[in-house]
Amino acid sequence: MIKYHPSHELLDTFVTGQLPASFSAAIAMHTELCEICRNKVAQLESTHATSTFISSAADEESDLTADMLFNDWEIDSLICSITGNDEIIHATAAVPQAISFNHTEYLLPRALQHIALGKQLNVGKLTRSRLDLNEGAIHASLLHIQAGGSIPNHTHKGTELTLLLEGSFEDEMGTYNKGDFIVLNNKHTHSPTTQQGCLCYTVVDSPLTFTDGIAKILNPLGNFIY
Amino acid sequence: MEDDETQQLSTCLVKIGNARDKVAFATLFKWFAPKIIRFGIKTLNTEAHAKELLQETMTKVWKKAHTYDDTKGKASTWVYTVMRNVSFDMLRKIQSNKEDTISDDIWPMLDSDENSNEDAYPDHLMSRTMSVHVDQLPENQKQIIKGVYFNELSQEQLAKQLDIPVGTVKSRLRLALAKLKQYIGEDS
Repeated sequence: MIKYHPSHELLDTFVTGQLPASFSAAIAMHTELCEICRNKVAQLESTHATSTFISSAADEESDLTADMLFNDWEIDSLICSITGNDEIIHATAAVPQAISFNHTEYLLPRALQHIALGKQLNVGKLTRSRLDLNEGAIHASLLHIQAGGSIPNHTHKGTELTLLLEGSFEDEMGTYNKGDFIVLNNKHTHSPTTQQGCLCYTVVDSPLTFTDGIAKILNPLGNFIY
Repeated sequence: MEDDETQQLSTCLVKIGNARDKVAFATLFKWFAPKIIRFGIKTLNTEAHAKELLQETMTKVWKKAHTYDDTKGKASTWVYTVMRNVSFDMLRKIQSNKEDTISDDIWPMLDSDENSNEDAYPDHLMSRTMSVHVDQLPENQKQIIKGVYFNELSQEQLAKQLDIPVGTVKSRLRLALAKLKQYIGEDS
């Protein structure tokens, strides 16, 4: 069962379309698996639609309207040019795509179907493939950890988001299962391990810093995971 | 009064979806335009982007109205999600210089006309095998197969899009299908 969910604030910004694509994709993949959050999103969409289109508050500040940007003639010609095209757009059912990590095939979630994936890099039991989203310091990746693998104790300067796509892992704070949406910041230190192996989607906005003596040598690994 | 308005918007949208009703579309356009412009200026910052948002959103409304199901939600919520998706892709273009239009993957559109999901799954292994073979085709034949079978374009639309005669589309399609049959035959 899914125990960890995105915060209300995150869902609210997601609904307005103003969250970076890396975070939006994570929430989309979570809601695909989580009915509770799916319902919350539907509710929030309706709330935002009302405040944007219906509520009187929206009308009060209508000092700037389309009339000021378009004249009547322009509006009519825009309407004509749109309705002059008879094409319709069908909802196309996505053909699920597979991705393979260490000879295991996984179904790629719908949200990632059209995002280019970088080549897979390996360090020990970890395999990483970066998503080509081009969002500056925010890096999104698919991270596969083979059974028995772990990441040494580390912390983050910024935020680390993990969405567990398959399998499970444990850390000092508990056990995580498929669909769990985990957000950690610089206040957390953890060392995740996985017994059966797992596939995660991760978003990190600054490199990981390893905190334990010998693991400090691994700090290049921090850049690898970032 | 709010309920009347909600009902009216929904009726317009249904008319567009069922009958390509241009008058209903004009009504809807004029009702939503100032609000979309205001949203556009707030989220995309410039008037030019707000205008583009309005045009793109209303074009999608015209082309996708048939997917609106008035028993499942308000017209205003439906238009909001269409606008939000356009705005998301525009923001991506502005901030990350990416034209990958992934909003429809993040917020998949559910088609009420056809139960597309049920049809998609039984075939999915076959589709995957096929797409491997399709990738083996020469580029110009691959284009045609993908256009016709994966994007469901007509041969005429495809000819126009690729700027080649319909006859060429037909002959490439014939060649490609013959090759695909061969590939599948070899496997079994």
